[in-house]
Amino acid sequence: MTSVDKAIHWDPYNPAYFNNPHPVFTRLREEAPVYYNEEYDFYTISRYEDVQAGLADYRTFSSSRGDILEFIKANNPVPPGVFIMMDPPVHTAYRSPLTRFFTPKRVASLEPQIRDFCAKSLDPLIESGEFNFIENLGKEMPMRVIGMLLGVPEEDLKTVQSDADAKLTTEAGKPMDLTEHTFVGAGFEDYIDWRMKNPSDDGMTEMLNLEFKDETGAVRKLTRDEVVIICSMLGAAGNETTNRLIGWTGKVLAEHPDQRRQIYENRALIPQAIEEILRYEPPGPSVARYVAKDVELHGVKIPEGSSVCMLVAAANRDGRKFANPNKFDIQRERLPHLTFGQGFHACLGNALARIEGRIALDEVLNRFPDWEVDLDNAYLTSTSTVRGWETLPAYTSKAKRRPGGKKAAQAAPQANTPAPIPGAESWKLTMKTPMGPQEMTAHLVRKGDALTGRLDSPQGSESISHGKISGNTLTWTVSVTKPAPMQLGFEVQINDNALAGHAKLGAFGKADIVGERISS
Amino acid sequence: MPKITFIESDGREHEIEAQTGASVMEMARAHNVPGLDADCGGGCSCGTCHVYVRPEWRTHIGEPNEFEVATLEFAVDVEANSRLSCQIKITDQLDGLVVTLPASQR
Ligand code: HEM
Ligand code: FES
Repeated sequence: MTSVDKAIHWDPYNPAYFNNPHPVFTRLREEAPVYYNEEYDFYTISRYEDVQAGLADYRTFSSSRGDILEFIKANNPVPPGVFIMMDPPVHTAYRSPLTRFFTPKRVASLEPQIRDFCAKSLDPLIESGEFNFIENLGKEMPMRVIGMLLGVPEEDLKTVQSDADAKLTTEAGKPMDLTEHTFVGAGFEDYIDWRMKNPSDDGMTEMLNLEFKDETGAVRKLTRDEVVIICSMLGAAGNETTNRLIGWTGKVLAEHPDQRRQIYENRALIPQAIEEILRYEPPGPSVARYVAKDVELHGVKIPEGSSVCMLVAAANRDGRKFANPNKFDIQRERLPHLTFGQGFHACLGNALARIEGRIALDEVLNRFPDWEVDLDNAYLTSTSTVRGWETLPAYTSKAKRRPGGKKAAQAAPQANTPAPIPGAESWKLTMKTPMGPQEMTAHLVRKGDALTGRLDSPQGSESISHGKISGNTLTWTVSVTKPAPMQLGFEVQINDNALAGHAKLGAFGKADIVGERISS
Repeated sequence: MPKITFIESDGREHEIEAQTGASVMEMARAHNVPGLDADCGGGCSCGTCHVYVRPEWRTHIGEPNEFEVATLEFAVDVEANSRLSCQIKITDQLDGLVVTLPASQR
């Protein structure tokens, strides 16, 4: 190390590290195995041995406030059933009966359906030689597969939805879009209510009927609300992560055509290739914990009450564990990466994610053996929970358009902020979240006592549902997927050109909101 | 070097010379014994390295820890003598160990 080295700095929100966090992770791991970030008040742990031991030691590194930095800071009550945010024994009381849905055997039975989905999605694109790892596979597949597992049939969902719409004359439930969103919102809750009354031999009925011993020792079924929130947690945990795995598969193998060729010729290499992709570019680079008692590591005292980010992505490239760690090598000695976590909270859906990743790769190779990715038209995002591709166009040698030929309109989606809605009043809102203020713009359209419109935020644009006007009070909901799928319930009072109120953040408490009118 | 015998569900036997300090799973893979997927590579998180261990070996091997017990829930056809082979470290005392493989890991 030379004296000109700048002090190490890392936080999950800094775009400087989105594209390639590995150099800063290497510095953290080698120079500051316990690092403290003053600005956001959290620690990081980055060596393999430390992350592995830390994740296993739930008595010190607790999940009781969640495993996402923002949630730990917010410290809102954890709703019953959300076992990812609990420690044993309550955690295990919930997790254990649900394991049956995620066994390697059970998920293997979905193989024909998953292959079928890939075929439907990719076959129409063979001719053109152009496809998109995210748009055509990653975005839709994981949510549909969870739907398959629970037996949530898309036809049923539509029936249930129209029943619900017919019943709810004043306000229609936000249609549940299985492709992009997840199991949140009125549509999904209606489905569960309907399934409770109309049992079948599907996974959802099985979940509604399973008996388990809760933390009080009582044997009981899950409540309706627990089922709702467990399903939304499954969507949160299994959707964007698996999507990212599919994206990284496209990106990393495009950069290693010789290894891709080996896989193409010998499909038995697929499982180890997926493991190496998971190690090399983990879809979730970091898992957070609440420090439940003082602990000292590498001479640094981490006090009780702190938050710690366990940098899985750094641990996966620790040279103390993996030889030549920065080399992508599908033939490397098989050692456990930490991408699915470790210990009691180790990913419940690991078998499901693996089978999805393996099938996606196999089916892509069947149709597009030699793709290149078009990074000029691809777009990468990184949050405190996931890192990966939002869109990743790919081309085979027979495609007419070659990578680099920019499609102007489609470049970087974050740039094309949607245009304001004609006739809408626009408000600049500031939401006070645990991680500091978040700005967003609401475009509101009044019609009688109904309110429609859209909410634009750095996370994307979402349309407003359940909008109502009563006097000066406006209420509406928005379903978001980041940092976790949830419904935000807004309630604000308007006073001329200013507004104040709050948003209910799904099951995770409230955030105050202030706002000012931009246009009327 | 301790000897370990793997018996496949159809009765086929594989006797191998095992390395102390490695896990039973690692040795099976190193000697191409079929039937252990070991998806997670020994992380005790996938349940696809499931084997049956004869009861007389239990005292030498010790009881499964809390993580192994939890992960065994992923495995197929679990019995009282089921273990995850990635969690069994080979010692000289395990010379002569016989483990039986389930018909399938999934
Ligand atoms: C490549 C895709 C995936 C990755 C990288 C991933 C990663 C992880 C990680 C790191 C954890 C541990 C979190 C912690 O320790 O706090 C976890 C837990 C979990 N994952 Fe996954 N996951 C993936 C796919 C899935 C899928 C497909 C599902 C199911 C639909 C799923 C369901 C869960 C659940 C329910 C937990 C909580 C387990 C617990 O707290 O006991 N995951 N996942
Ligand atoms: S190899 Fe995965 S649990 Fe043993």
